[in-house]
Amino acid sequence: MIRKIKTNLFTIRYRWLIIGVTILAVLISALWLFKLKINSDLESYMPEDMPARQQSKIINEVFGYEEPLLIVIENEDVLEENTLSRIERIADDFANDSRFSNVFSLFHAKNIRSEDGVMIVDPVISRIPQTENERDSLKNEIRSNKLVYGLVVSEDFKNALIILSSNKTAKDAELMSFVNQVLENNPGPEEVYVTGQPYLRDDAEKKIAQDLFVILPIGLLLMFLMLWFSFKELKAVLLPFSVVVFSIIVCIGLIPLLGWELGLIGVLIPIMMIAIANNYGVYFIARYQDLNANQPQLSMYKIVDHSVKYLTKPVLFCGLTTIVGVLGLVTHILLPAQQMGVVTSIGIGFALIVSLFFIPSVMSFMKKGKPFKKENGESKDFFLPLTKGVGNLVTKHPKWVFGIFITLFIICTSGLFYFKVAPDWNGVMPDDHPFNKGIQVVDKDFGGSKMLNVMFEGDVKEPKLMNKLIECEEGLKELPNVGSVASLATIVKEISKALNDSNSVYFDQIPDNREAIAQYLELYTMSSDPEDVERFVDFDYTKTLMTVQFTAKSISDVEDVIKKLDEITGEDAEFHYVAGGYPLVEIAMSQSILTGQYYSLLFAFVAIIILLSIIFRSLVAGLIGSLPLAFAVFCTFGLMGWLGMELNIVTALLSSISIGLGVDFTIHVFWRIKWELAAGNNYVDSIKNTLTTIGRGITINAFSVMVGFAVAFTSAFPIIHSFAFLIIISLFLCLICALVFIPAFALILKPKFLERK
Amino acid sequence: MKQIIVIFSVMLLIANFQVSAQDAREISKKAMDAIEVTDMEMISTINIHDGKGNVRVRQISTASRRFSDCSKMIIKFLAPADVKGTTLLVYDYEDQEDSQWIYMPALRKVRRIVSTEKSKNFMGSEFTNADMSKPNLNDYNYKLLKEDTFNDKKCWVIEAKAKDDKVRQENGFAKRVSYIDKETSFCYKIEYYDASDNQQRKQLISDYRKQSNGKNFAHKMVMQNVQNGRKSEMIVDKFQLGSKLPEATFSPSAIEN
Repeated sequence: MIRKIKTNLFTIRYRWLIIGVTILAVLISALWLFKLKINSDLESYMPEDMPARQQSKIINEVFGYEEPLLIVIENEDVLEENTLSRIERIADDFANDSRFSNVFSLFHAKNIRSEDGVMIVDPVISRIPQTENERDSLKNEIRSNKLVYGLVVSEDFKNALIILSSNKTAKDAELMSFVNQVLENNPGPEEVYVTGQPYLRDDAEKKIAQDLFVILPIGLLLMFLMLWFSFKELKAVLLPFSVVVFSIIVCIGLIPLLGWELGLIGVLIPIMMIAIANNYGVYFIARYQDLNANQPQLSMYKIVDHSVKYLTKPVLFCGLTTIVGVLGLVTHILLPAQQMGVVTSIGIGFALIVSLFFIPSVMSFMKKGKPFKKENGESKDFFLPLTKGVGNLVTKHPKWVFGIFITLFIICTSGLFYFKVAPDWNGVMPDDHPFNKGIQVVDKDFGGSKMLNVMFEGDVKEPKLMNKLIECEEGLKELPNVGSVASLATIVKEISKALNDSNSVYFDQIPDNREAIAQYLELYTMSSDPEDVERFVDFDYTKTLMTVQFTAKSISDVEDVIKKLDEITGEDAEFHYVAGGYPLVEIAMSQSILTGQYYSLLFAFVAIIILLSIIFRSLVAGLIGSLPLAFAVFCTFGLMGWLGMELNIVTALLSSISIGLGVDFTIHVFWRIKWELAAGNNYVDSIKNTLTTIGRGITINAFSVMVGFAVAFTSAFPIIHSFAFLIIISLFLCLICALVFIPAFALILKPKFLERK
Repeated sequence: MKQIIVIFSVMLLIANFQVSAQDAREISKKAMDAIEVTDMEMISTINIHDGKGNVRVRQISTASRRFSDCSKMIIKFLAPADVKGTTLLVYDYEDQEDSQWIYMPALRKVRRIVSTEKSKNFMGSEFTNADMSKPNLNDYNYKLLKEDTFNDKKCWVIEAKAKDDKVRQENGFAKRVSYIDKETSFCYKIEYYDASDNQQRKQLISDYRKQSNGKNFAHKMVMQNVQNGRKSEMIVDKFQLGSKLPEATFSPSAIEN
């Protein structure tokens, strides 16, 4: 008793100090907000020592750190005079700019042909066709040109592609501003789509900033309204609301303070704080209103004293379990997820401390409000009849309730058979975003938007290696999702067609001796652009690059390409290759997300079981307490399967966050049932009382968290919308589990830990 | 004192007038004439540096002779071994497109090749085919930019701008700035710029040696690609003015042997 009064006295005696320290911490964090930087480079979210990134680095060191940017031009017939002229002007503007090391378009592609025994290397279009006949003749020429057809012009001639290789000397914003300027300077009726990582990064960066400016005010307003409808008392609203604002400032200020940058995932940080940070304060306010209504004779000091006495432990436990659940993110492979785990844990810790100390300190200064009851003595509350009804149902038919939950679990989790992991980052933008529209055209008409670089080492001019490249090309092209494969061998074969008669044994063949290959290549560099060759071979002809263009709807589509390469090159060290490129980083990330999911789930479950076991001094409590979480998490994953929603960089964060939050409801329910049983009530009454008292607080809390997360629907990123939808479903499942399943299960099992005093 | 200042100013004006009077186009023409050599035989080495410490070495022999309206040239690879013997024959006509043939020893065949792109690299180096031939004086507008010193030599700095897009595209640059010795008319340095006025390449020319006909021939040229860090050096190992090779040698059938 003495100890509790002392604790209470602390928050009142040192209330000025507590308020001062809290405000100082917030102000210091606010200063760091100005140093916040945004990082939209999804590849940088992966650890640098990751094999897929290392492999890409090895290839880039040899062949240059170039990054493709694709411009798709769509028209009824792209060979029409005006369209071609527009393509030429656009391609020329890019070719004249030093930020692009290479530009490949219909006007840069070569036509290697033989005419009257003369090898001619000409641009595909040396003069824009003026008549229908000239257009038809050009179409026929293009159809027979392997270096062009289906690569820079679609087979139906409705789309043309300009492939720009950015040398990464310019920042994304500068580069994209130039690209947009060029497109504006060369207007036309054709549809133009831009796609590529620089565009994705630039637009994502703008959208992250936009999200922060849109989500924060909307979220805070929604939270304010939610609290107002729940408590209908200004001071009761302002206190938990101030905790939310303070925690957001501290949380985001921590990012630059720790030397990190705000990534796409970081958009969730303020959303999480809006949703979570008011949790603890809400319980204080609910308790204050409860005491004010039922024991109006109590002074504000007494109310603060009683509230702190009753709530410190469960609120502390709730906060700690949430922190532990969210800390599960630290085991994640994605760096921003790890950083988010750290930052939000600290943010939640701050919200918890502020709720335990700052709120009671400020409350002690305030006058009591009007009691929160109607004149006829009934509660004004909307949730009370609901929780009362649930109490009656659970206590009358506990086995039925249990059965319904099992059935629901089976139905939901059978969706796990359709559960999919996103194979790439394209879902970051909406389907109708120009970035994805461009990808759709490239996937449909240009062999695929995925580009894999395969580097072989050896004497590149040796026929054995050249023939192996041809074998790889032919083998890979057999795969239905592979659109095109290009290597030095493709050029050598094209030269052989131009240099030899069609009835010659050398026609369309790799020469059978090294010197001939060397001389073919020398000839090509003399008659054309050496860069055509240098795209595929390093300076001293010891490393050669093969590019594989393909489409991938799932991870297995990418894996099939690698499997095929392994199958062709076999165990022979002579044909050892290094494969790199975005698709490999993307699938490595997808696989890591899946593995990370297992780890963070395992971490969160084990930690929660241990914590619950310690709190209630019973392993059974840990196991039963984790059931609602398992139910919610697996049902949510099952629903993702049923609804065709993929596990991606954002939805992968779901389980840790929902476990961290969902466990709070169970703790409160256990705590209250235990308290009611200790007060001498039987199980049925204890459960009924629990649901009508703390059940209301839990429901308000759960709905305010859900409303908080609903703010994410205003995000510019569809993957954040999916996250919002799923976390709300997951929290709702946690809520009904805590309010319905746990009481029913407790009634059936009557576990001893609940009865222990 | 006032009088002295006036006299000095007048002197400056006269000097300035003399500089302006110099025709930039004439200076460029004189620079071209100073090195004009039509008939010759030489062996040269091209060192191509990739900017990362790797060097590709090529040795070629060149023979050139003028026959009526056509300059004929044979370029033969002496090294590296895998392209040794590969021979290029070029007929450079004044009023029609060039003709080119190549002999590839591995195929034992002579093939005619057509390339209309002068802006493309010469033998895979940083030099372009356009750099290897005499530029057409009328394709450019000339401007005297300033006087400057280069390696202690007083030079005119002349800008030559491509007259139209066709010239620019053909030669691969929009503007050329040359440092031409005021005394000897030797060109020591040329900077090449693209249409956006970004420098693309920088050429340094040195080791001019006087020939028996009074003309000069540069024995060392270095072309640096400012944008990708690559560099090519062309060093003349052996030079002989004039060529006694008969016209029959400069024929497609003859280069097979």
